[in-house]
Amino acid sequence: MRRRRWHVIVGFLGPALILYLIFIVYPFLSSLRYSLYNWNGVGPLTDFIGIKNFTFVLFSHSFAPMFWRAVWHNLYFFAMSMVLTTIFGLLLAYLLIGIKERPSRWFQVFYFIPMVVPPVVVAYIWSMYLEPGYGAIPQLLSALHLDALNVPFLGSEALALPTIAVITAWAGMGFPILIFIASMLNIPEEMIEAAKVDGAGRWRTFRSVIFPFIRPTFLTITTLNFVGAFNAFDLIYIMEGTQAGPNYATDVIGTLFYRTAFGGFGTTAQGVGLATALAFVGFFIVMIASAILVFLQRRAAMDL
Amino acid sequence: MQFKRPVVAYVILIIAALVALYPLVDVVLMSFKDLPGIVSSPFSLPTSWHFDNYTTAWSQGNLLLYLVNTAIVSVVAVVVIVFFSSLAAYVIARFDFRGNQVIYLTFLAGLALPIQMIAVPLFILMKQIGLVGNLLSVILIYAASGLSFSVFLLVNFIRSVPKDLEEAATLDGASYFQIYWHVILPLIRPSLSTTALLNFLTAWNGFFFPLILLTNPNRMTVAVGVLSFVGQYSTQWNLLLPALVIVMLPTIIVFALASRQFIRNMTAGAVKM
Repeated sequence: MRRRRWHVIVGFLGPALILYLIFIVYPFLSSLRYSLYNWNGVGPLTDFIGIKNFTFVLFSHSFAPMFWRAVWHNLYFFAMSMVLTTIFGLLLAYLLIGIKERPSRWFQVFYFIPMVVPPVVVAYIWSMYLEPGYGAIPQLLSALHLDALNVPFLGSEALALPTIAVITAWAGMGFPILIFIASMLNIPEEMIEAAKVDGAGRWRTFRSVIFPFIRPTFLTITTLNFVGAFNAFDLIYIMEGTQAGPNYATDVIGTLFYRTAFGGFGTTAQGVGLATALAFVGFFIVMIASAILVFLQRRAAMDL
Repeated sequence: MQFKRPVVAYVILIIAALVALYPLVDVVLMSFKDLPGIVSSPFSLPTSWHFDNYTTAWSQGNLLLYLVNTAIVSVVAVVVIVFFSSLAAYVIARFDFRGNQVIYLTFLAGLALPIQMIAVPLFILMKQIGLVGNLLSVILIYAASGLSFSVFLLVNFIRSVPKDLEEAATLDGASYFQIYWHVILPLIRPSLSTTALLNFLTAWNGFFFPLILLTNPNRMTVAVGVLSFVGQYSTQWNLLLPALVIVMLPTIIVFALASRQFIRNMTAGAVKM
């Protein structure tokens, strides 16, 4: 019987574990190794340079400015998505728990649909809408005589990144709405009733009862947005190209990493070692931020 | 927390639904217009319905090939994830053995790892085992990277249900595989369908790995295939729009079929955050 138990454990766990070890754990460990070498991806791994790739990413004159610009763009993207998902996600979730359940579920399905649309479709729909001159949005703006607002959104250094952040929020709003709803449904009805009995209005109830209750969820949303913002790649690549134009105004860690690892129009691949070091630094930023957020979340959950 | 007079709430919710869905409906409508119609009057309904947009896009764009490739990638990856992760989760949740915790934590660690981060070593690994340009490369990556979340979800779920049924089955002389198949699987169906849907969407919509691994035109998935289609017909929106509709319809249909259950599971805390 004991022997059979071991057969079962190995047999059931084996397939998942082997797949995971070969295609996640092993690449992760080799990535750590590659980052310590000067290596362009072909030939043997001989030129060990210690942490030079990391110092090159963080401090060199030729690479570090690009890296920090990308980090800044990721942070900016994060701030934008935070503001948008909080304002709209929270408002819509709040309204959805206040109406009857059947229509509420329908709306939840509707809001989630853009999330399932492939990014390539999202990117082209909005590229078409924003096409200077004949796109729907420029035509609408000129019909309304709002010519001051009629600018090439995706071609402007100041507006390209916020525009893509808004499109990302449009496509991704369904998930934060569901998370906010799940958390608001957990609020004991008595607490709301008690607030009402005390004569609290809607806004007061929201501020003093609902908001404190869902604060841990808020940190979940922050974590998701942070991870999402630092993984931004698809829309920027499709709408602005590998060079993350105009003039690198939309260059994030994802696109910088892509150019470093796999080359791009106009630049040549700069090496596997450097790219893996860059990926690691990006990963550390996300890890540290997530760790802090998870810690804060635990504390907020305990305060309840 | 019901609103007594929910009219304002409904007005805002309907406007938001229009913002979410109008562009998608619009793309479908516009895909039937001719090129001058798309460019000069983006807001009007089609005056004549150009179904030939679709036949032209279909025959010139290799769309069938891309769809078949994408379907193979997503379906195989999902089947592997669902099967492997449920077997593993059953053992982790129900068997007490040395190394159990270490293995579980190894899977959990993957939740914090953005898969793009290991793109370079994965690319080199795929090159070494000769899978670059092969659909299997992307299948293996999606399957492996989907395991963490799925194992996490299922272990939590299995731990939350009582062991009574399994113990009864053991007394009846059922083997472990029979218990897995007849007791555990039916029990975890809601969680399983949630991970299946999420992983299907991730695989179908995946962009980064097909971009670097499937560069051969015969092996492209829709996400990358449409990109090369756009390269050839960049301003021919009358061909591009039908291609976009064809690419997005499968995900919307799959989601529509699973959506009621999915939304219920999500808001009922099937995914613990």
